Amino acid sequence: MTYLAGAFAVAWLLTFALVISMIQRQRRLEQEIAALREILEKQR
Amino acid sequence: MSESGRVTARARTDNSPHEWNAQTTRVSPAKSYLRKVLAITWKDVISELRTREIFSAMFVFALLCVFIFQFAFDLQAENTRVLVPGVLWVTIVFSGVLGLNRSFVLEADKGCLDGLLLAPVDRSAIYFGKMLGNLIFMSVVELIILPLFMILFNLPLWHPGILVVIFLGTLGFSAVGTLFSAMAVNTRTREIMLPILLFPVILPVLIAGVRMTGGFLDGTALAEMQNWARLLVGFDIIFLAIALMTFDYVVEE
Amino acid sequence: MKARDIAMLTLDVIAGVAVLIALYMALVWVPDAANLISPDEKVAQHIFYLHMGMNVDAGLGFLVTLIGSVLYLLTRRRIWDMIAVSSAELGVVFATAVLATGSLWARPTWNTWWTWDPRLTTAAIVWLIYIAYLMLRGALEGAEQRARFSAVYGIFAFLSVPLTFMSIRWWRTIHPTVFSGSNPGAQGGFSLGPHIRLTLFVSMIAFALMYAALMAHRVRLEQDAQAVQELKEQLL
Repeated sequence: MTYLAGAFAVAWLLTFALVISMIQRQRRLEQEIAALREILEKQR
Repeated sequence: MSESGRVTARARTDNSPHEWNAQTTRVSPAKSYLRKVLAITWKDVISELRTREIFSAMFVFALLCVFIFQFAFDLQAENTRVLVPGVLWVTIVFSGVLGLNRSFVLEADKGCLDGLLLAPVDRSAIYFGKMLGNLIFMSVVELIILPLFMILFNLPLWHPGILVVIFLGTLGFSAVGTLFSAMAVNTRTREIMLPILLFPVILPVLIAGVRMTGGFLDGTALAEMQNWARLLVGFDIIFLAIALMTFDYVVEE
Repeated sequence: MKARDIAMLTLDVIAGVAVLIALYMALVWVPDAANLISPDEKVAQHIFYLHMGMNVDAGLGFLVTLIGSVLYLLTRRRIWDMIAVSSAELGVVFATAVLATGSLWARPTWNTWWTWDPRLTTAAIVWLIYIAYLMLRGALEGAEQRARFSAVYGIFAFLSVPLTFMSIRWWRTIHPTVFSGSNPGAQGGFSLGPHIRLTLFVSMIAFALMYAALMAHRVRLEQDAQAVQELKEQLL
């Protein structure tokens, strides 16, 4: 039982770590895109 | 690099060899190709003969490997037959990486690679030339450390089978290593990158080399090691072919 | 919402539901394998469905990296490089999960965390190769060169796998081959009843869907990163 729980915990922790890191990176990129667009607008 | 830059680079390599061939008439294309390959190899050999930079480093490093393994494993008469093939191959691989690293670092640092790429030769000739150079350096080091292994560990390593295996292994190693070395010089970490890229890919050569060397030491017939021999030859052919096909993409600039 | 967002969301939901169904089947619905004796082994056998699912993802990840690499070199379109790197990253994460779940299954079944069995060793080496692939990308400057070099390495990485596997296989193997052939040295193998077969099938499909959903997001991430780069270039 311990092994089963351990295996599922490890596998899903890894998967969720991946998903969370992807979400964070996505958010940061979207912020950056928005900020850059704003600067471009101001320049015009 | 821009699209137009690449196109001109392509055009240059495509056209120039023909013009060159036209000037040097009565030489068959195969012969002229071989001549270009050998010219590049010869250039490396000559510069090495002048400086002895790579060779001495590889050789001293190989010697150090032998001593480090001796202290780490305490190689006694009872276990040499089992352990020495592995020690030999690790020594070959480690000293080989040392030499491969220098192979393109020298070219890149002094801007020689750009010169080579401007020369009216096919890119594959450059690859073959560099590969042959690395093969020669490694072979020379091997030819010196092999008798040394025989003396130090009292084993009959000067066996034609073992010599062929070492040659085939070194061929596969330098086939992949030359290509990866050309990539590694362009990375930020340079020398550190090459072993990380090379070792996992080269593993079949190492395993087959160790197994066959051990087999020949134990007096196993070649017929019993056919699968290893095929693997080694197959690796050489497959990876030489792919390296040849992809070298263009690595040096295009 | 753009059409692409809707499509991605739909794929997310389908994949999520499929994974939940697969998990239910693997943990609750499927009976214990008939031929296993010790209770530890019986419980641990349920890891297998997760292990195989993750294995499908890792395999798909590395295969798609190869395809992306080849197509990048042939077409020179950035999207193929993005697909290759996204897929390699997912592949490494799932390969880590495969190694971890395999290890946790091996402990109760083989009574050891790790053996130098061909499949295990090959899996570990493949994992290392693709970590090297990601490191190579990290160490290269210039998007075009990075794409070119990593495409070349991506091809070598994938093609060396069968040779590595063959070379390691010629030692004795204890990894159970579930699908084909009989391996007298194998331990912990089990017969595939109809329930087990179905559960396995469902979980492999579910995880493949999960891979597709994650890929869609990961590739979009890469595209956004490029968009940032282009915006910065406009500013300069």
